[in-house]
Amino acid sequence: MKKVFLLALAGLVLLSSALVFPLALSAHNVNECYRDYQVCRERALNLDAPWTKVALVLTVCDIALGKCILGFNV
Amino acid sequence: MNLIWRQALILLALASGIPPSAVAAPGDPPIRRYVAEAVATESGQSDDACLAMAVSLAFDADRIYIADAQDCAVKIFSKKGRFEAAIGRKGSGPGEFSFPSGVAVFGGRIFVADKFNHRVQVLEASGRYLRSFGVPFAPDKVFVLGADRILVTNNGTGRSGAEKLLHLFNAKGDLLREEMPAYFSGDPVFDAFRNMFLVNPGPGGDFFVVYRSRERSILHYGLDAVLLGRIPVDERYARKSLSLPAKGGPKEVEAFCWDSAYDRGRLYILAPAYTGEGDLGPGDQVFVFDGAGRLEARIDLPARVTRLAVDGGRIYAIDRASELRIFRVAP
Repeated sequence: MKKVFLLALAGLVLLSSALVFPLALSAHNVNECYRDYQVCRERALNLDAPWTKVALVLTVCDIALGKCILGFNV
Repeated sequence: MNLIWRQALILLALASGIPPSAVAAPGDPPIRRYVAEAVATESGQSDDACLAMAVSLAFDADRIYIADAQDCAVKIFSKKGRFEAAIGRKGSGPGEFSFPSGVAVFGGRIFVADKFNHRVQVLEASGRYLRSFGVPFAPDKVFVLGADRILVTNNGTGRSGAEKLLHLFNAKGDLLREEMPAYFSGDPVFDAFRNMFLVNPGPGGDFFVVYRSRERSILHYGLDAVLLGRIPVDERYARKSLSLPAKGGPKEVEAFCWDSAYDRGRLYILAPAYTGEGDLGPGDQVFVFDGAGRLEARIDLPARVTRLAVDGGRIYAIDRASELRIFRVAP
C-alpha cells in the first residue's frame, strides 16, 4: 500500500513538472535571461570594487540567471 | 645570477620567517623609491566634467580621454586636468554608446569599445562619428596597435571553454586573429577572476598582457597578436593572496596587479592592497619593471587609485571616487 502511494506521489510530481516547466520556459525568453546575465556580469567586472564584493555580485548574477531560466518571479 | 646562492638565500629567509618573494638576489640593483605629488586639477567646473564610472583612460600629445560607462560618454580633459568636452550619449545610434568600457586614441581619432551595442566606434577628435564595426561579443577594451591593427578584448562569458579573449581586427573591422583562450573550470565566478587581464601597448605595435591574478609573468605579443614570449617578474615583487567564495568552497587567488601601464620601455604595475576588512582593493603603490621583468623602482602615490596611465614623469589616474588625478613623480 505504502509502495503504491509513493509511486503515485512520484508520478504526480513528474506530471506537474512536465506540465509546469515547459510553460515557465515559454513564458520567459531564455536569450533575454542570458542578455541580462551578461549585463550584470560586465557591470560587476567594471566596478573596481574590492574582489570579495565583486565575487558576491557575480554570484548574485548567477543566481538571477538561474531564477530567470526557471521562470521564478523574484 | 647564481642559482645555488639564490636558493640558499631563500632557505635562510624561510628559516627567519621572511617570505621568499622579498629576497633580493645578489647582483640585483636596489629598488629605487619615488614619491608622487598631486598636481592641482580643474576638473570639477561643470556637471559634464564629473565622472560617474570612469573605466578606461588614454592620452595623446595634448589631451586625456576617459570612458565614462555610467554617463555613456567619453570625457576629454587637457593634460592639466581642465575639462574640455564630453562626447556621446546613451543610445544605439551613430555616436551613441551603451556602457563605453574602453577608449583609445590613434592618429587624431578616438576608438571606443561600445560594450552593450557590441561594436567598436571610431570618432574624430571633435566627436563627429566616422564609422563603426560590429563584434560578436561584448567588447571590453580597445587598443590601436597600428594604422590597420585594432585589438579588442573581452571578459569571457564564463559559459564556454572555447572562448578567446584577444581579437585582432583590421581598420575595416575584419577579424584577423583571435588569441588567449579563456580559463574555464565551470565556476563562472572563480573563472572571472582568472580571466581578468590588462593590455599595455608597446612602442612598435607589440603589446604586453598582464593577468590580474592568473600568473606572475608578463606576456609579450607581437603586432599580429602572436605570443613572442613570457617575461618572468622579479621575485622581490610579492603577490597578495585572497580567499574568494566559490563553488565547492573558498578558493585562493594570488593577486598580481590592479592596473598596469607601459611607458618608454617600462611596465608600471599598480599593486592591489588589503582593505580594512581583509578584502583586496586598489592600492597606492606602483612598481616599475624593466623590459626583462626586473623590479627597478617603487612609486608611492598620495591616494589609492583604480586606473592609471604613465606619461614620462606624470601619472594620470582615476581615484576611488572616480575623479581624475594627476601626479608628478619626484625622486
